[in-house]
Amino acid sequence: MTQDTATTPTGPRADQHPLLSGSTSLRRRKAREWRLKVYGVAAIGLSLATLFVMIFTILRDGSQAFYQARLTFPLVVDAAIVDKEGARDPAAMAKVTTVGYQRLLAQAFLAHIETSGVPLGDVTEKEAGEMISRDAAGRLRKQVLSDPAIVGQTITVNAYATGRIDGYLKGRVTRASAERDSLVTPAQLDLADRLLQAGILSLGFNSGFLTDPDASDLRPESAGLGVAIIGSVYMMVLVAIFTVPVGVAASIYLEEFAPKNWLTDLIEVNISNLAAVPSIVFGILGLSIFINFMGLPQSSSLVGALVISLMTLPTIIIATRAAIRAVPPSIRDAALGIGASKMQIVFHHVLPLAMPGIMTGTILGLASALGETAPLLLIGMVAFVTTYPSGPLDGGIMDPATALPVQVYSWASRSDPAFIERSSGAIIVLLAFLLVMNVAAILLRRRFERRW
Amino acid sequence: MNVMTVVERDVSETRSKMDARGVQVWYGDKHALKDVDVAILDRTVTAFIGPSGCGKSTFLRCLNRMNDTVASARVMGKMTMDGQDIYDPRVDPVQLRAKVGMVFQKPNPFPKSIYDNVAYGPKIHGLARTKAELDEIVETALKKAALWNEVKDRLAAPGTGLSGGQQQRLCIARAIATSPEVLLMDEPCSALDPIATAQVEELIDELRAHFTVVIVTHSMQQAARVSQRTAFFHLGNLVEYGETGQIFTNPRDPRTEAYITGRIG
Amino acid sequence: MTQPHIISSFDRDLEAVQALLMRMGGLVESAILDAAEALEMRDEGLALKVRDGDKAIDALEQQIHSECARLLALRAPTASDLRIVLTVMRVAAALERCGDYAKNLAKRSLILAHMSPLGGTTGSVCRMAKTAVLRLKDSLDAFIGRDKVLAADIRDRDRDIDQMYNSLFRELLTHMLEDPRAISPAMHLHFIAKNIERVGDHATSVAEQVIFLVTGEVPEEERPKADATATTSRSTEE
Repeated sequence: MTQDTATTPTGPRADQHPLLSGSTSLRRRKAREWRLKVYGVAAIGLSLATLFVMIFTILRDGSQAFYQARLTFPLVVDAAIVDKEGARDPAAMAKVTTVGYQRLLAQAFLAHIETSGVPLGDVTEKEAGEMISRDAAGRLRKQVLSDPAIVGQTITVNAYATGRIDGYLKGRVTRASAERDSLVTPAQLDLADRLLQAGILSLGFNSGFLTDPDASDLRPESAGLGVAIIGSVYMMVLVAIFTVPVGVAASIYLEEFAPKNWLTDLIEVNISNLAAVPSIVFGILGLSIFINFMGLPQSSSLVGALVISLMTLPTIIIATRAAIRAVPPSIRDAALGIGASKMQIVFHHVLPLAMPGIMTGTILGLASALGETAPLLLIGMVAFVTTYPSGPLDGGIMDPATALPVQVYSWASRSDPAFIERSSGAIIVLLAFLLVMNVAAILLRRRFERRW
Repeated sequence: MNVMTVVERDVSETRSKMDARGVQVWYGDKHALKDVDVAILDRTVTAFIGPSGCGKSTFLRCLNRMNDTVASARVMGKMTMDGQDIYDPRVDPVQLRAKVGMVFQKPNPFPKSIYDNVAYGPKIHGLARTKAELDEIVETALKKAALWNEVKDRLAAPGTGLSGGQQQRLCIARAIATSPEVLLMDEPCSALDPIATAQVEELIDELRAHFTVVIVTHSMQQAARVSQRTAFFHLGNLVEYGETGQIFTNPRDPRTEAYITGRIG
Repeated sequence: MTQPHIISSFDRDLEAVQALLMRMGGLVESAILDAAEALEMRDEGLALKVRDGDKAIDALEQQIHSECARLLALRAPTASDLRIVLTVMRVAAALERCGDYAKNLAKRSLILAHMSPLGGTTGSVCRMAKTAVLRLKDSLDAFIGRDKVLAADIRDRDRDIDQMYNSLFRELLTHMLEDPRAISPAMHLHFIAKNIERVGDHATSVAEQVIFLVTGEVPEEERPKADATATTSRSTEE
């Protein structure tokens, strides 16, 4: 019987399909696969588009922060104004306030306009003088006080124009907006056009944006990121110093030495939970412990670093533990098999192999800490700081400072529209920092991995 | 009969190197080894065969106290090496492992140079005082592992860049560089191709002149080829232990017979 | 196979069984020659020695057998290695049979020593034995040298022993027809001659094994035969 059925030639079975034409179920599977691919491509496209729009907007707004309108004119440092006694006595010279210098600048500016043959038009002399940033007087005063030899000589002043003139050159201020603006008149804008032609007014690269300290609403044109950058750098270095040894040590202990019991389980769960705690909570913690209880100075980079360290530590521990766990057990076995002790296994084999992972985790943790704002607000780092902190070894970490993300936040909340571009500019600097750190992470990883 | 010496098979050494008496191993609630008695002869290749989970690897790992690193493992019974109890609390397992080297299933060279791989053991055990001494130890170990001719021109090259068989021989060189007395091999050829396997087997046969070798293998043929004595484990019991030829031509226990003829797994 | 195995102990094992076989071959050859000499010289001491020496041959055969079993079990030989082991086993069996014939020859020569000689028949038997031993030796040489040309040659030379046997057979028949008292020694001598003829056959089968060992194929064509006794006996009966 069985032989019969086996030898009887039968055609293709009903449920079998010829190879050339696919079945309906196969078509359905293919369609599902295709749809899934389309969803994926769409999701990636959407996120890329969002990213592109964000970067485009920030670059468009922020790039202008790196340019600044300046007025260039010769100025005779008049001894009658800056040093009435003529003794070049710094103490006596210091009595002259910026108001005197302001007058000096305005006079020199007007004189230069006149000699250049640029008509003032409807602009009064006072209004023309107000086109110079108030910041210029302060700078000139500082220059004179630091170098009294220039008194009586003619120097070339390269002063900031006010934020409105600056905005006009960048297209932010128009004649229509100037009509409604108490700080600028359309006539001043006309004069600016003429000065631009005469070469007195120019738009140039503004290195001061990266080096100057913050400035008030009165002179947005001179506000810079100097203090914020120093504060951020101090904080990152301190965070690295605080977290890396502690984090790595904790991870090694937990991974290699700790017995597996309910206590270590509890610690493990808590570390994971800590990583998920909102950052503002750390801010409150830092406020109560470091400032109120320990009495560390407010808005100092030390306190900021401590708070951010608390926040970053769980992340670093988790990354480090993952890196340590990723070291193949065969390596541990091999070392154990030839009689290496636990310490030797960890320091000769596990750590070097986990190093790229630890590095990457740490740098990425630091990078996310760099962008942290909320806890810094609570410990007063949002303060308006116009003086640079001193060097790190001179107690600079105790001096008031701000940080880049905080600077973005505080500028974004200011009323003067000139701060909008500066806020975006600060974001560009922050992104550049993050980019540098990420690239550093990749390079370090490569370097360590390339060894084998 | 003197003609018997034509076939060199008989184990010349009959002195026992390692002795296990009534060894029991528990992994948590699992009784992995039940009352095992084995006397491992000096300068002999002893093979442990048996189906997966029969306890042969467990027993191997008892011999250099690798089970100490498994938290749930409990080892009972007496195990001696040259008459000394290796589970004596005064015995440091680190010291023991320098005397009882181990080679693993997967070739696992350190991600370091060939030289550093071999030199690592002697370094941590302080076997060499000068660089020249270390060089010599490395060269001797690589020669004993039949690898020297292949790698002598590239000692600084990474060990992970060698072929599978070379890596395994490098691991063997690394193990013998600490001049152990016993070499434990846990399925050393399971990740190798037949030619590399044959080379490692030939090496094992040569190592017999200097070391006591204990090898765990899934391949009965391998046990037959390389060992002088074979132990068959089944379900945590040591079923039969004897001269390899006898085990493979005329096993005493029906379970051994059934296993080596492919009737039970 | 000139190239050694990676596992050198495998080579040593293979060589060992072949060495045992050669030792056995040597023992068998000298046993046959000694037995033939004992027959011709009526040397009872030598005959006894040959008779007792068979134990050693049997023991060697046993040892070769168990070694081969070991090799098969432990080394799992393949291709030419497998053929070596198979050939060794069959050659050993053939040699063992030859040893038994030598023992039988020795036993019969003990009996014949007490009987009157039958003309020059013992000399013929001796010559025949020497020829057979020479063939056996050649076969074993062919085995060791893996010489299939020599082996084929031995196979073709089978005829001469058969012819010697035929003429001896006729001679013995004549003796028996002439004198019924010669029947007993003639029968003994006939059995001896028959056994020696069988040694020759075994030598030929060894040669065939050598051809199998070298080429992997058993020679098929009918072996040249010149044993005409089957027909002769029928003709005498008529």
